[in-house]
Amino acid sequence: MVKKNLSGNEAVAQAAIASGVKLISGYPGTPSSEVIGSIWKKEIPGVTVEWSTNEKVAFEEAGACSWAGQRALVTMKMSGLNVAYDSMISMVYSGGVGGFVIYVCDDPGVAAGMPEQDVRGFATMSDIPVLEPSSVAESYSMTAYAFELSEAIGGPVMLRSVTNVSQSHAIIDIPEIPAIAPREPKLIRNTLKYTKAGAKICMDQHQELLDRLDAAEAKLHADGMHQLHLGEKGKLGIVSVGAASAFVDEALNIVKEAGMNVDGISTLKVACSNPVAHAEFKEMLDTCCCFVVLEENEGYVEKSLYLDAYKADKHPHIYGKEDHTLSRIGSFNAMTCAAAIAKALGGELKVDTKQVAEAEALCSARPIGVCAGCPHRGVYMALNEAVKRLGYKKDDVMITGDIGCTILGMSPPFHTLWTEVAMGASVAMAQGFVHAGVKTPVFSTMGDSTFMHAGMPPLLNAVQQNTPITAIIMDNGWTAMTGMQVNANTAKEFQQNETKNRVDVVEIVKGLGVKQLFVADPYDLEGLTKTLMEAAQLPGVKVVVTRRECAIQAGRRKIKYGKVHVDQDKCVNCKICINKTGCPALVYDGNKVFIDNGQCNGCGICTFVCPKKAIIKEEC
Amino acid sequence: MAKNFDIYMVGVGGQGILTIADMIMRASEALDVPCNYFPTKGMAQRGGFVKAQLKLGQETVGPDIRPFGADLVIAMELCESLKALRYLKKGGKFIVFGHKWMPTDVMLGKAAYPSVDEVKDAAAKAGVEMVYIDPATLPEGAADNIFLLAACLKHSSLGDIVSADAIKNAIVTRWPKGAERNIMSFEAGLKA
Repeated sequence: MVKKNLSGNEAVAQAAIASGVKLISGYPGTPSSEVIGSIWKKEIPGVTVEWSTNEKVAFEEAGACSWAGQRALVTMKMSGLNVAYDSMISMVYSGGVGGFVIYVCDDPGVAAGMPEQDVRGFATMSDIPVLEPSSVAESYSMTAYAFELSEAIGGPVMLRSVTNVSQSHAIIDIPEIPAIAPREPKLIRNTLKYTKAGAKICMDQHQELLDRLDAAEAKLHADGMHQLHLGEKGKLGIVSVGAASAFVDEALNIVKEAGMNVDGISTLKVACSNPVAHAEFKEMLDTCCCFVVLEENEGYVEKSLYLDAYKADKHPHIYGKEDHTLSRIGSFNAMTCAAAIAKALGGELKVDTKQVAEAEALCSARPIGVCAGCPHRGVYMALNEAVKRLGYKKDDVMITGDIGCTILGMSPPFHTLWTEVAMGASVAMAQGFVHAGVKTPVFSTMGDSTFMHAGMPPLLNAVQQNTPITAIIMDNGWTAMTGMQVNANTAKEFQQNETKNRVDVVEIVKGLGVKQLFVADPYDLEGLTKTLMEAAQLPGVKVVVTRRECAIQAGRRKIKYGKVHVDQDKCVNCKICINKTGCPALVYDGNKVFIDNGQCNGCGICTFVCPKKAIIKEEC
Repeated sequence: MAKNFDIYMVGVGGQGILTIADMIMRASEALDVPCNYFPTKGMAQRGGFVKAQLKLGQETVGPDIRPFGADLVIAMELCESLKALRYLKKGGKFIVFGHKWMPTDVMLGKAAYPSVDEVKDAAAKAGVEMVYIDPATLPEGAADNIFLLAACLKHSSLGDIVSADAIKNAIVTRWPKGAERNIMSFEAGLKA
């Protein structure tokens, strides 16, 4: 058997390719991005790999590909499914033809920001199977199985991973996947299946949807996807799912080492929360006296077990979320699981963290910062300065924020942004604040990728309604925060290949009917400040596009915009430059302020704030 | 089957802590030692807290190291090292490269930063064995992360799981062009 060193996300991509996938589409989002990221430039024959404009677009493309009989994979983070869900709920009722796998990563423990939501709720609401890999190896095997299951039942299958599985790297055995014959696309005219026009159509589709879920339950059982190990009658049962399953063995060892008897315990590692593993639950309920359910975030498996126990007229104690043994918040580790098992066994595991908590209290806070040379820094500083020069207090002017690196303007030393909700929300919310009666200027901020993703409809709305806002689009040319992916606005030379096009964000703004459009340089702090002041005082919709490439990406190509140094004769160590810019390239060593040339890209923003003109930029 | 060995690594984005983890993983791959490597980069592109968890020697394993479960902590930044103490076994090796990556508020004198003695004191109270690697001992031109990796081979039983030769091979294979500098860094670290 071949062994490979893969991450969970890479395993999904490789297994999909081995399974004969025709289209892999998605939108970047930590912790899911490497599925497409790892193969995006690979030119795999017969496979289209695409960073789509947003998750909804990616989803619809993949769904149609399935409807034409081909296999398709769509990838996104959990927040992305919120965007794609409008189409998902409709498409699941229609089902599919070719295997359709919806790969979504949740983030228990919140390594990457955004709500700690559990997308399995969407699978439950949609009545589709959701496979939940517990390891890198299962990320591979379950992807292949998901295509098979999808075609067997004739509908989409969700593959739900989490950060510590999708981002883990492991050396795994690559299982043989039977190759599928190349398929010609089929155009199937069947309005009863593929439209929703009529009550009967919709209710028939609803029945077929439920039948597919029943078929999935039977197949998962027949294929032995749920790992059931029955122990002795009258002993504890442990039911686990997803990432939590990987901790069971280690947790049992901890409990055993603590002197508790773990003999005769039954375990059930379910492959999914939906469909419910009724047959396996029945065997567990017939065997075990009580249960521990190990499941990160929401208790979908746990609630199903309660329901099956109720229907079987059994009343075992279930240790989990409902009795507050385990939390719905955060990710698990072996100790979390061991503590729950110990409690169910009548014991207690104590971990004394007093000493280490005291040690952690000595740590200096390390707020999320803005990179050296980041063009966004200029925007936050110019906004703060413009608000001041217009005669307003900072707390009088609403500046909405959006998703991505641009939200870093909420952090010190800027404290510029007030809100972060969802992709594109900044522009619509700015309008809402105006309608609320706010008399001071209202600004919104978002990046270029966020604008492409979901910023166009709210800006169109502002133009149509003629609502006075100043929308700032911070164009750094990349989808940066998720690890530097391209979007439609990324320069042509960095697109996937020479056949792809670049669509200039400025042209789109013009096309949306914006008449008052400004394009400004965020490295020119004075110029941008004046532009923002001018825009804020005009009536109607104003858009300011600030343009400079992401400093990380430009830095990778060794681009420097100048050479900056501190004139030590003029510098009075006031540290205003550090206080105002928070730039990591400005260093104070206790004696003097100087520039770390390794980090400085010569943006020169700091030269604008020095009251002694001691920071000098020279062209290089 | 090799014995289990769990490593918890902390540092600041841009220091190359994940490269250390990657080299250990490549070496374990060459030696057929099971390995799960889980990096957490957080949200910041540069300068934010970074951690990595390596579980060596176990076929099926959860990616996260439990509190007081790690055999070894490798820290590349003095202050951040304190965040790893929670995960280190009593008596475990706490190897700290004393580089100081000061947050802005520390630089401005608005926030405190722990001294080396405070970190040593915290390690002693936590009952772990601290090995402090003074950044001043880093030879001119050496790569600090490769230097530290080699120092870990010297000061812990990591070498019983993945040999120094296997790691050296991984480094040479990964950077054929920079081999000379990296091997110099590695050899120096073995003596650190």
